[in-house]
Amino acid sequence: MDLFFQQLLNGLTLGSLYALIAVGYTVVYGIVQIINFAHGEVFMIGAFGALATWTVLFQGQTSLWVLPLMIVGAVAASVVVAVLMERIAYRPLRHAPRLAPLITAIGISVFLQEAVRLFYPGAKSALPFPRIDIVTGPALQLGEITVRRSAIFTIGSLIVCAALLWIFINRTKLGRGMLAVSQDKDTARLMGINVDRIIAVAFGLGAALAGVAGVAQGLQNNNIDFFMGFLAGLKAFTAAVLGGIGNVMGAVLGGLVLGVVEAMAVQFIPGTFGGSPWKDVWAFALLIIVLVFRPQGLLGARVVDRA
Amino acid sequence: MTTSTSPTPHAKTAVGNPRPSPQWWLTLAGAVLLVASAFLSWCYVPALLGDLSIDAYPGGLQLLMVIVGVIAIFFLVLRSGRMPSMDTLLDSARALKALSATAAGFMVLVALVIALQAPGLANANPGLFVGIVGAALMMAGSWQMASDPLVDPITVRLPSWVEILVIVVMMAIVLFGAAYALGQEDGTVFCLFLAFLGGVVAALARGGLFSWISVIAARHRQVLMMGALAVAFLFPFTQNGSDANMSIATQVLIFATTALGLNIVVGLAGLLDLGYIAFLGAGAYVSAMMSHSAFAHIGWKPPFIVVVVIGAIVSSILGLIIGSPTLRVSGDYLAIVTLAFGEIFRLTVNNLDGNNGPRLTNGPNGIPGIPDLEIGSFNFGDTHTVLGIPLGRFANYYFLMLVVAAFIIMVFTRLNNSRIGRGWVAIREDEKAAEAMGVNTFGLKLFAFAGGAFLAGMAGTIKAHQDVSVTPDQYIFLESAFLLAAIVLGGMGSVAGVLVGATVLKLLPEKLRFVADYRLLIFGLLLVVMMRFRPEGLVPSQRRALEFHADDEELADRIEEVHLEIAAEPDSAEAKA
Repeated sequence: MDLFFQQLLNGLTLGSLYALIAVGYTVVYGIVQIINFAHGEVFMIGAFGALATWTVLFQGQTSLWVLPLMIVGAVAASVVVAVLMERIAYRPLRHAPRLAPLITAIGISVFLQEAVRLFYPGAKSALPFPRIDIVTGPALQLGEITVRRSAIFTIGSLIVCAALLWIFINRTKLGRGMLAVSQDKDTARLMGINVDRIIAVAFGLGAALAGVAGVAQGLQNNNIDFFMGFLAGLKAFTAAVLGGIGNVMGAVLGGLVLGVVEAMAVQFIPGTFGGSPWKDVWAFALLIIVLVFRPQGLLGARVVDRA
Repeated sequence: MTTSTSPTPHAKTAVGNPRPSPQWWLTLAGAVLLVASAFLSWCYVPALLGDLSIDAYPGGLQLLMVIVGVIAIFFLVLRSGRMPSMDTLLDSARALKALSATAAGFMVLVALVIALQAPGLANANPGLFVGIVGAALMMAGSWQMASDPLVDPITVRLPSWVEILVIVVMMAIVLFGAAYALGQEDGTVFCLFLAFLGGVVAALARGGLFSWISVIAARHRQVLMMGALAVAFLFPFTQNGSDANMSIATQVLIFATTALGLNIVVGLAGLLDLGYIAFLGAGAYVSAMMSHSAFAHIGWKPPFIVVVVIGAIVSSILGLIIGSPTLRVSGDYLAIVTLAFGEIFRLTVNNLDGNNGPRLTNGPNGIPGIPDLEIGSFNFGDTHTVLGIPLGRFANYYFLMLVVAAFIIMVFTRLNNSRIGRGWVAIREDEKAAEAMGVNTFGLKLFAFAGGAFLAGMAGTIKAHQDVSVTPDQYIFLESAFLLAAIVLGGMGSVAGVLVGATVLKLLPEKLRFVADYRLLIFGLLLVVMMRFRPEGLVPSQRRALEFHADDEELADRIEEVHLEIAAEPDSAEAKA
């Protein structure tokens, strides 16, 4: 049973990471109905933003007060990239056929990976992520269960971010504007909402959470690399679909479910097809199964009828 | 086909200049100077740019300027009103402007290279300056030239032997251009050649040559196909047995063949498949596992032709499996399903090493040491001599791939012009409307997936032998994205476009080593820029272009006209039947 709870915890940690990224897919999809395939790269940029902040300003520091500033650096980097991406690449394609933004997204994705690999010093191989007091260090023991400190940070940031997100969407003017635009763009425009600005905000919002996720991932894995966004992005997209794309709280739930399923698959699928080499296969198989049998996701969103 | 004149034949002669203007003379003088400069020495340093230092014998890059000059003189002759039937087809003023800009840009680039690498402009010889003056005169002369009204090429009909001759000449130019470009070892020379090529192609396009050629190509489709095949077939004979270029050419051909298969799925049926490389991989793995490699763990070693069939069938079964969700999901979701499938394929072949699941693929190490193909007594690894020209290992695979490519092109065009193809186009444009019209959307989509997978699997079985080994990291997502980029760059749904796109994407990094490190960066940027500015691709199929420019009435009318005209033509209707 301890094994079960241990894997549940591992799954929730992984799932929190997926959930933080998945929100970006779902917010953007809810508003402009495009899959921002390059969102995984925004997450990667966030991690590098945090590392750059640390390297430039606090090289060698390990105290806790550095962490918020690193998060600010990460969020700033990913938000700037995401908003620029929207402005330069996606906005001109708003009325293009469906294929166009998706291909653009693949282009951006490859471009960002390569830009980091080529131009960030030393990024051709994995770079070590700084150790921070309190949030990294020896794991805690809760009975038989090992709790890594970074796991607490990851799950904690999901809780804080989800709460802030809920408040933002439901309690602020901008957030309600987003709801209005996602329901009906033209009417929202007639009501005096600046739709372009709302779309930029949606991209920025997703990117901010992805930036936080980038820091969390760095603390978890101890190192970051330019390719980390691809798989994480794909998994997070799976999570968004699982929860019902377009539904923000669905993305959070989907992320957690996906993380737990993955962790359980590693532990409990018997025989040679279990274990970590196959966990990604099971995650993607889950994506395909969900898309085929319940494309509206667990919590449900508007039914997809887009060709 | 008989000769018929255009409905509005002499609209132009009344407008055209009976007596050449001063601008005309100025441009002519510039063009003549440009040609003359090629016969002078450009630079003292023989080592630079493939030796431009010899008088009276134009070499390498200088020949390119002779070509520009001759084309310019041709357009000038047109402009003087001596060939009225051609004059109405081609806009000589716009072509001349673009040509002179090309010449000027090219000369400046050469001057820059000399200044930077010789080093110093002091090493330049008078020929260079004569050329620059010539280009400047051309620019000055053509600057103010007014464009003449053109006739739509569809209404003009030259004698059919002229039209066929034009196609044949085009093909010959492509062959020699390709052989010349591949022969360039020097990166700078290759870049300058590309600049020249881009400029001349742009000039000819502005002059309206390509819209005319596309019309006559549609009229003489069979001549075009045979010509293209002949050019591709003759190419290895231009290489004198050199394997370096043939290896690149074979890779380009494999890439292009796979891209053509993907083009059926993406270009015709409009289903974005981001896991297509998995089908190529499935074919390659089947072929490797049934080969005589020491690492192949399947005991059965059937003859290659059986392996091809098995590979293609396994691949198309995978296509059916991956295509089945198309019943429920569409558009973006489908793209993600295929992407996930591609990842599952990669991870699976990476895992099946005996420790994780059955021992089939040897895990990350893949299956090395796949022997060369042997069909009958013909061993593909040996060098064979035909007509005194040695053809090496890669040339052998090149010919085999050419057969496969021809087969795929045939399948593609036949399907495109069939009931199935029209069904696909209908699905692509509006799935709901297509369904309402009685198109079996699910069946056709499934068929697109299975058919595309079948072709890729076939290509994969050959690729395994050509590559000698198969490993999981040859079949990553990036390769699928590359295939997609070839299609997007060239033009979705058009065979010529995909061939152009695949060639550009594979050839450039091979030839430009300094680009190699940045090639992915450039390629990512390329996708974004293409989608923004020319989503229909470089050589678009016109129907497809219309989908991206839905409010372009003129284009819509034109496509209808071309369609009707070609449908009315007896011999091309035959070709389609």
